[in-house]
Amino acid sequence: MTARDENGAAVAPGGATPYWPTPLAARIYASIGGLFVYVRAMAVFLVIWHLVSLWIGNPILLPSPIAAAEALVDLTRQGEVFSNVVASLTRLGTSFALAILLGVPLGFAMGLSRNVFAMVDPLIELLRPISGIAWIPLGMFILGVGEALPTAIMFYGAFFPIVINTVVGVRSVNPGLVQAARVLGVGRAHIVRHVIWPAALPNILVGARLGAGAGWMAMVAAELIGAPSGLGFAVEWYRELLMTPSVLAFVFLIGLLGYLFDRLLRWLQRVLTPWAQTQGGAL
Amino acid sequence: MEALDQAAPKIRLDGISKEYIVPRTGQRTLAIADVSLDIVQGEFLCIVGPSGCGKSTILNMIAGLAEPSAGTVAMDGAPIRAPGSERGVVFQDYALFPWKTVRENIEFGPRFRSDARLGAAERDKLVRHYIDLVSLTGAEHKYPHELSGGMRQRCAFARALANEPEVLLMDEPFAALDAQTRLILQEELLRIWGEDLPRAERKTVIFITHGIDEAVFLADRVAVMSNHPGRIKTVMDIDLPRPRRESLRATSEFQTLADEIWQLIRREAYEATIDRR
Ligand SMILES: Nc1ncnc2c1ncn2[C@@H]1O[C@H](COP(=O)(O)OP(=O)(O)O)[C@@H](O)[C@H]1O
Ligand SMILES: [Mg+2]
Repeated sequence: MTARDENGAAVAPGGATPYWPTPLAARIYASIGGLFVYVRAMAVFLVIWHLVSLWIGNPILLPSPIAAAEALVDLTRQGEVFSNVVASLTRLGTSFALAILLGVPLGFAMGLSRNVFAMVDPLIELLRPISGIAWIPLGMFILGVGEALPTAIMFYGAFFPIVINTVVGVRSVNPGLVQAARVLGVGRAHIVRHVIWPAALPNILVGARLGAGAGWMAMVAAELIGAPSGLGFAVEWYRELLMTPSVLAFVFLIGLLGYLFDRLLRWLQRVLTPWAQTQGGAL
Repeated sequence: MEALDQAAPKIRLDGISKEYIVPRTGQRTLAIADVSLDIVQGEFLCIVGPSGCGKSTILNMIAGLAEPSAGTVAMDGAPIRAPGSERGVVFQDYALFPWKTVRENIEFGPRFRSDARLGAAERDKLVRHYIDLVSLTGAEHKYPHELSGGMRQRCAFARALANEPEVLLMDEPFAALDAQTRLILQEELLRIWGEDLPRAERKTVIFITHGIDEAVFLADRVAVMSNHPGRIKTVMDIDLPRPRRESLRATSEFQTLADEIWQLIRREAYEATIDRR
């Protein structure tokens, strides 16, 4: 009897739970819940910050979160935020696009051909551990203060994660899928385009996210000393003026924009590789 | 059966051996030794044998994915050197492209193969036909991960068929399915293969399985393999009438044939099991 009941329930699960929330309602509840967790964590952080600033009692060393928020509002109103945000995002866009345009084809060539890999990999392994920041002094000699230096340093930061993850992506393509295409009589070029490329794409996108993060971090360092504009430049500028609330306002913006760019890339992952998401592939 | 014996072979395995050499250790394994077998046009041949006896190795060589260390594999008298669209393969793990829908998987061959590609209109007709044939209508736009095991199997089968090969190679295609689905798909396979068609119009099928019942139910002939190294021990004719239906399994002829094959491989099956412990 029990077995039959269980069987019946397994065959028709829909009828048993009429009050179960619809997918849309469930998603709304989940996002409200997520927001609550987020707000709670932020509130704890802000309260601690505020208490510490009271305890230190020196607004140049550590202003209160309220002062920092006011500075952010003022800077936004004056429009100063926008020119720096645009400067930094333009550099991110340029360097990231360059890193993708050069890194993905190179990674592909390395993943497909042992010869190319043997030729390029030693160089990459040599350069990769060197932080982009280490090149800033030399970069200032060669490129001077301006657009080129921070863009180049950001490119350097973004390039290696993209290349390496592309190589990994191409190499870890399930050989069974390539064989499946071969036995259908499909040629090499179409296999690269229609099997290896989509199979490697989830890893390439992981590389893109890591690269964007590394580039964004390198940006601040490069702009601190090597640029006449941008978020890193603004941080340094207001530090010299001892306007710590404005410094914190720009630091906050660096975090926020980095986070938003990552969200954008995550959204791209979901759109471009839906099959990998449901299998729990990409991060 | 006379017609079967006289016809020129569609596929000929002539004294093939395959030795695998592990690159790092240099260790050699003789996977199969001196296998000769002729498969004629329109024949349904099953290969049974204990796991590790080289069944997949033989199939891969016919597919053109691997080359024999010695001997020749030929189709219609011409040696096989590379994969080609005239030989379709259904793999055990199906190897469906996860980023393509059922429909896109099935049209992959006709769309991207090197020779005789089809235009969009022709492809559409063809794909629709095969989707209906394997009863995947309504699931065309689903991705493989949204399908049940049986549906994936049928999708892989349709992908191979839609490329219209002359020879169909199937490597334990039903092994990953539950018993009921397997029984249903066996009958469906025979229907799609075209049991009622004259032999000249049927596809030649080489079907690997380790299910003896499955082999007897499906095959015109069953090649029984032995292990260490893999050889073909016997080839048995299965003279059961077609079309075959579920009820055939209960008949004494069926049971006798299945038991005969079991007696041939039981010792090796035991050895293989004990070896692995
Ligand atoms: N790529 C390979 N390298 C080395 N040995 C292999 C390789 N493929 C198969 N073998 C060996 O060859 C034998 C036959 O394998 P296989 O054809 O897969 O057997 P089956 O499909 O009958 O289970 C096994 O002993 C297996 O270990
Ligand atoms: Mg096998």
